[in-house]
Amino acid sequence: MPALKGSLTYSRFFVNGPLPTSFQEKFLKSIRLRSMKPLEPDDEVTERSGWCRLGEPMETELSFEDLFYNSYLNVGFRTDRWMIPGPLLRTKLREAESAYLQKRGRERLSRKEKTELKDLVSKKLRRQLAPVTRMTDVSWSLDEGIVRFFSHAPKQAAMLEGLFVKTFALKLVPEAPYTLAARLQPEPDLAPGWDALEPTDLAEEEGVA
Amino acid sequence: MQLVDRIEKRRFVGREFLLWLWFESELFEGTLRTREHGSFGFWVERQIVLTAGVEGTRIKGPLPAAGREAKESLRRGKLPESAGFHLVAGNAETSFTLKADRLAISGLKLPTVLGRAEDVPPQLLDAPRRMVKRKREDAARRESRESDESHEAFYERMGLTRDLEGRLEVLYRDFLAIRLGDAWKWVVPVMRAWALGDEVDVEAYVRARDGEPVAKKRATRAR
Repeated sequence: MPALKGSLTYSRFFVNGPLPTSFQEKFLKSIRLRSMKPLEPDDEVTERSGWCRLGEPMETELSFEDLFYNSYLNVGFRTDRWMIPGPLLRTKLREAESAYLQKRGRERLSRKEKTELKDLVSKKLRRQLAPVTRMTDVSWSLDEGIVRFFSHAPKQAAMLEGLFVKTFALKLVPEAPYTLAARLQPEPDLAPGWDALEPTDLAEEEGVA
Repeated sequence: MQLVDRIEKRRFVGREFLLWLWFESELFEGTLRTREHGSFGFWVERQIVLTAGVEGTRIKGPLPAAGREAKESLRRGKLPESAGFHLVAGNAETSFTLKADRLAISGLKLPTVLGRAEDVPPQLLDAPRRMVKRKREDAARRESRESDESHEAFYERMGLTRDLEGRLEVLYRDFLAIRLGDAWKWVVPVMRAWALGDEVDVEAYVRARDGEPVAKKRATRAR
C-alpha cells in the first residue's frame, strides 16, 4: 500500500476546476455508483475499472470514513482483466474448431464462425479462471487540488482519468514541465517565453553530432 | 502554440531542470538554497540516466554524477532523463528519483516516525504468564485504533511528501526564472565549461544566474 507504507512512487495530476458545493455527499454517492463491479465470464467487456477501499481491492462497499481523511479523499482504483494464456486459448480453440468441423462434415470455417467459436471458447475458459486484479492507491488532496496516483503506468493513468471525470465531473491534468510551470506562473506571462524555448545542448561544438 | 504542443514539445525542460539541479548541487558542493527554505543539502546519488534520442547511459554508484562518464555523456549531447537525489533538511533525510519528462517521483523514502516496527510496544516475553494480565480489546475497538494509527501515519507521510514537493516546486520556479529569462544565455556557456571539466568561477556564475551579464572568460577559468 504505497500511500500508507513503504517507499512512494507516484504521478501527480492537477484537478481542473473547483469543488462543487456539498461535495462530500455528492462524491460519496458518485463513488458508490462507480464502485468496482466484478467481471463475469459472460460479460462482453474483457476489462473493467472501478473504485474500492484504499489498499483493499476486494472491499467495494464504501463508507464516508473509508474515503475521507480530513482534507484528503483516498480511494483504491481497481482494474480487473481477463488474461487467458495464449497457448491455452490456441489449444482449446483448435480442439473446438476440429469438433465443430467434424460434426458438420466440413473442412473450413467461415470468418464469422471462427470469431463466434473464439468468443465461446474464451467465455468457457473464463469460467475456469479468475480475472487478474490490479489496484492502485489514489489520494486526492482536496485543498491543494492535486491527485497523487501511486503508479507510473501510462495505461493505468489514462484509465484513471476516464473514471475520474465520469465520477467527479472534473478533469485531471497530468503533471508535466509545462503544466507545473503554468501552475507556478500562470499565463499570459508564461506563454511567450515558453513557446520560444529551444533545447539546450552541451555537446562539444566540434566532432560531435 | 496549442496546449498539447506546449506539453509534448517542451518536455525537454524537465531534463534541463534535472541538469540544472545537478550542476548547482555540484557547484555549491551539495548545498542548495532557496528564499523560502534557506540552505539544505541536495545532491545526485545512486543512479543517473542520460539520454539523447535512443542512445542512453545509465550510471550507478554512490555519487554517479561525479565520474567522468557522466560529464562525457553531456558533452555527447545527452541530458538527464532521470536522477536519484538525496535531500537533507535539518535532521531529516529523504531520497528519491525524479523523472524528467513527467516530473514524477519514484522510490521516495521519507523520514517518517509513525508506523515503524520499533513503535510497536515490546511483548513481555520474559514475564511469567500469570503475571501478565492480558487486556482483551473487542474487535471494533482494535479496528478503530488501527484505523486511527493508519490515518496518522498517512497524514505524516503526506505532510513530508508535500514538504518535498514544495521544495522542488520552489527550485523549479527559480530554474524557470533563469531558463525563461535572459540569464540562460549566460548560464549555458558556464555549464558547457563545467561539462568540459573547466574550473567554474562560482561568483561569476551567481551573477550570470541572477541576470547580470558577464563575459564567458569571467565565468570560467581554463583548467
